[in-house]
Amino acid sequence: MNELTFNLENIAAGHGYHLAVTGMAIVFVTLMLISLFIRGLPRALELAGHLFPSAEEAHSTVANPVPEDRPELIAAIGFALHKGTQS
Amino acid sequence: MNILLDFLGTTGFATMTSGNLLMIVIGIVFVSLAIIKDYEPLLLLPIGFGMVVGNITSIPSMALGVYDQGSVLHYIYFGVSQGIFPPLIFLGIGAMTDFSTMLANPKLVLLGAAAQIGIFLTLIGALYLGFTPAESGAIGIIGGADGPTAIFLSAKLAPHLLGAIAIAAYSYMALVPVIQPPIMKLLTTRNERLIQMQAPRRANKREKIIFPIVAFLIAALIAPGSIALVGMLFFGNLLKESGVTERLAATARTAMVDIVTILLGFSVGASTQAQTFLNTQSVLIFGLGALSFAIATAGGVLFAKFMNLFLKEKINPLIGAAGVSAVPDSARVVQMVGQQEDPHNFLLMHAMAPNVAGVIGSAIGAGVLWSVLVK
Repeated sequence: MNELTFNLENIAAGHGYHLAVTGMAIVFVTLMLISLFIRGLPRALELAGHLFPSAEEAHSTVANPVPEDRPELIAAIGFALHKGTQS
Repeated sequence: MNILLDFLGTTGFATMTSGNLLMIVIGIVFVSLAIIKDYEPLLLLPIGFGMVVGNITSIPSMALGVYDQGSVLHYIYFGVSQGIFPPLIFLGIGAMTDFSTMLANPKLVLLGAAAQIGIFLTLIGALYLGFTPAESGAIGIIGGADGPTAIFLSAKLAPHLLGAIAIAAYSYMALVPVIQPPIMKLLTTRNERLIQMQAPRRANKREKIIFPIVAFLIAALIAPGSIALVGMLFFGNLLKESGVTERLAATARTAMVDIVTILLGFSVGASTQAQTFLNTQSVLIFGLGALSFAIATAGGVLFAKFMNLFLKEKINPLIGAAGVSAVPDSARVVQMVGQQEDPHNFLLMHAMAPNVAGVIGSAIGAGVLWSVLVK
């Protein structure tokens, strides 16, 4: 440490103003970039999901899904499958 | 008889100075605050007892203190003096941090940046008082309100001030519930303190996994000096969020962080020997530290008010005070001050966003100062 000389010139001599402005700007820009990334992340993931569906999602998608509110149809399909396995 | 007299000459009673006695009293005050007032007990108790231990004097030929080559305390203090413990603590913090609220409301990240003004204005203040630029950078980081970051940077830039800076940083972190509320109330109106914020959305698992990787890349590429701190923080978080390394995450956030906290707190306390600690520099560092906390708090609150000028959905400016890191104490203070106005206003989860952003911001600030000021 220098001798205790309380002086505004110390700040300029140590590039204090430049250091403070530059340092603050870098911290702000970095966190702003992180903030922008977070903001865009859900949309990017949604887009990626459309372009590259995961194997799990791709296999879980049924071409002609059976409506859940048609129990008689589900019962008929189940019966047909059962008969098929017996024959 | 001579042997007895020689022995008496080696006792602490014979070699102790009034300065050592004062430091022992301060150490006991720290321990008392931890036990009676519950102020940051996990930190203040090890530091306080370390201060008592470090100020028991001995004859020079006995290697006992942290500054004596070959002593046990010297080896423990190695983790502090070489900046090893802080990144390990960051690993634990990462493994226990949930970034969900930040991912849900990314604009609150900016509050964590605004509060870092405390670092850089304190740097200017330290330069004005006659400290060198490197010393000023190390002192300024107290404004980041992050003990491990303060230790890490002062170990790199001004190792001779490490004890004073570490004690100032941890003391003020413990005093967050005392320092922040008056500033928060002074800078906000009652109507602003009553603002209720909407519950944040839920961040999904993929967001939580991708975030630490990309955020690390952004921070590290811009400020490589922050790699050790930010890298360990996000690595710890990835261990937690990946879901495949739960054992490692559990160890990092429990046993490991506890062990490192004990070693760090105790050895930092033991480094405050009166002969090296009690001087004008330490007094100035404590003064600047208090100032930096106040500026950082004000910076966060004022920036939140500034953001409200442009936002449709207003944010409660109290949460700006949580941008000063000090996880999770400053977020708890926000909750407490908010509930004093309206007991049904729950600000804690909102305050956690600038709080964790502040941790990242102060680590980046430390990286920037290290890069610029290292000789």
